[in-house]
Amino acid sequence: MLQAYWYITKMKLLTNLTYRFEVFTAVATNLILTLASVFLWQTAYKGGSGAVETLTLQDVTTYTILSITLSTIFVCGVQDTIYYKIREGQIVTDFYRPIPLLACYLADDIGDMLSSLMNKALPLIMFASIFFGIPWPASFQSFLLFLPSCLLSYAILWLLSALVGLIAFWVMELGNMGMVKDSIVRVLSGSIVPLWFFPDSVQTVSKFLPFQYTYQTPLGIYIGNTNAGDALTAMSVQAAWIVILFLFLAAGWARTKKKTLIQGG
Amino acid sequence: MEAVIEVKDLVKEYIIVKKESGLRGSLKSLLFPKKTKFNGVNGISFSIAPGEIVGYIGPNGAGKSTTIKMLTGILHPTAGSIKVCGISPQADRKAVVRKLGVVFGQRTQLYWDLRLGESFELLRRIYQIDKAAYEENLAVLTEVLKLHDFMNTPVRQLSLGQRMRGDIAAAMLHSPSVLFLDEPTIGLDADAKHAIRNFIKEINRTRKVTVILTTHDLDDVELLCSRIIVVNNGKIVEDGPIDSIIHKLTPHRMLVVELQEPCDDLSTPNATVIKQEGLKIWYQFEKDLVSAPELIAALSQKLPIQDISVKEPNVEDAIREVYKTTATV
Repeated sequence: MLQAYWYITKMKLLTNLTYRFEVFTAVATNLILTLASVFLWQTAYKGGSGAVETLTLQDVTTYTILSITLSTIFVCGVQDTIYYKIREGQIVTDFYRPIPLLACYLADDIGDMLSSLMNKALPLIMFASIFFGIPWPASFQSFLLFLPSCLLSYAILWLLSALVGLIAFWVMELGNMGMVKDSIVRVLSGSIVPLWFFPDSVQTVSKFLPFQYTYQTPLGIYIGNTNAGDALTAMSVQAAWIVILFLFLAAGWARTKKKTLIQGG
Repeated sequence: MEAVIEVKDLVKEYIIVKKESGLRGSLKSLLFPKKTKFNGVNGISFSIAPGEIVGYIGPNGAGKSTTIKMLTGILHPTAGSIKVCGISPQADRKAVVRKLGVVFGQRTQLYWDLRLGESFELLRRIYQIDKAAYEENLAVLTEVLKLHDFMNTPVRQLSLGQRMRGDIAAAMLHSPSVLFLDEPTIGLDADAKHAIRNFIKEINRTRKVTVILTTHDLDDVELLCSRIIVVNNGKIVEDGPIDSIIHKLTPHRMLVVELQEPCDDLSTPNATVIKQEGLKIWYQFEKDLVSAPELIAALSQKLPIQDISVKEPNVEDAIREVYKTTATV
């Protein structure tokens, strides 16, 4: 069974590596986004207002570069996959295989992730380094903590995406709910502006939502804004969210299978 | 003999949201949807023995695909029970689909961007087929379905006929005991149709695969199926051997006579003239009342006959008859 998943991952990886043009455009867009964000921060810091003293300019630059890089790697195609497959009725061909659907979609996304790591994330980091210097982590220890935290982040993002995907089984007419979710995640995860710059009330609410644990947690660890002890606490919160979301997904999936809505044929 | 497929009182209810026209109507149905219930499948029962080739036919929207989807565990029935190889697809979908091969003519399970062979490799891993058995099976399938030429072509570049053969091979890789074919010859040319029909006959003969076929191409039915189940409006209207259904539904045969010269009195007992075109005359007769030789003998005494032929009613006539009599009121 594992062999099958690995094969799906491998096929996706190989397919993606053949699309070269897409890679160029992706690198270009992300690079522009990175440059624009960093320049914006530089201007903001020049004003020298005391409000932004939580982080140094170097920290924010590193944070921004890493954040955009992570967003190229954290591929959650599952919500779109489910949405389009249901729309076109193609999902039936997945249903008559003796293998769990969602696990296949995860394998597919991991393939995407591995290829993005090579052909999107690495070039982006390289170019960004040329402009702003290499975005080093705060310390070797923070780098070591950053890696597992990233994995946990991806799990949260993927589970959220899969949950949104399930909605498509129930209400096809709502359109692609994924875009709504993506916008919420982009703001509340701190991927554009770290939540530390937000008012206290927003920060308090956000603590009880899963979103900030997807980008802000690993990035905070990387730039050393979160110390080792806090990092471990943050990671256990991440793990708790994974458990909660997983239970939701399992329950939702069991119900969905009972009431599948399949177009045409 | 133990049935491969056992279906009892199957019902599938759909809830349809009625849409009203215009902007006002759209808004209204968005806020207060008018829901009506509708039975796509309404109390179907049948059982299929191992090694049968059954044609499951009916007009568009008769509930054919819905039944197939329930048999494969994709849809859950509202009521009734299904057993495929003794297992309920709703209780254990994965165990059931291991024993099934499924081909939907209008969809493909092959990976669009990859070589055909790569999709097969993935299926080998999904079904955990032993390497040696896989190679052997694939060699046979490649031979019979003539896949050599395009094994290494990306699926998106295949012609419809090639893709369909690829899809059928994909469905047979794990040696299923039951094969569902939903319109396998749709849109194919005569040659490709022929190849696919031959293949179905072949696997039924050599591997004793039970085949369930839904199609609108009645040549498929006539050439392949020993039994047909006709559904309309979610109900079974006929179930039995193909010959007896034709006989039952269309007891008439046709005798076409071509005369040497025009005649006035064409009448004969036991047969009626239904059409006349110049010297060509069409007689209709009931085969229970009179046999063809008897009728020919009677006519040749009376008329100067140039040429003669007997027309058997075919499946198409029979099916049209069924659809007509069971049409929605």
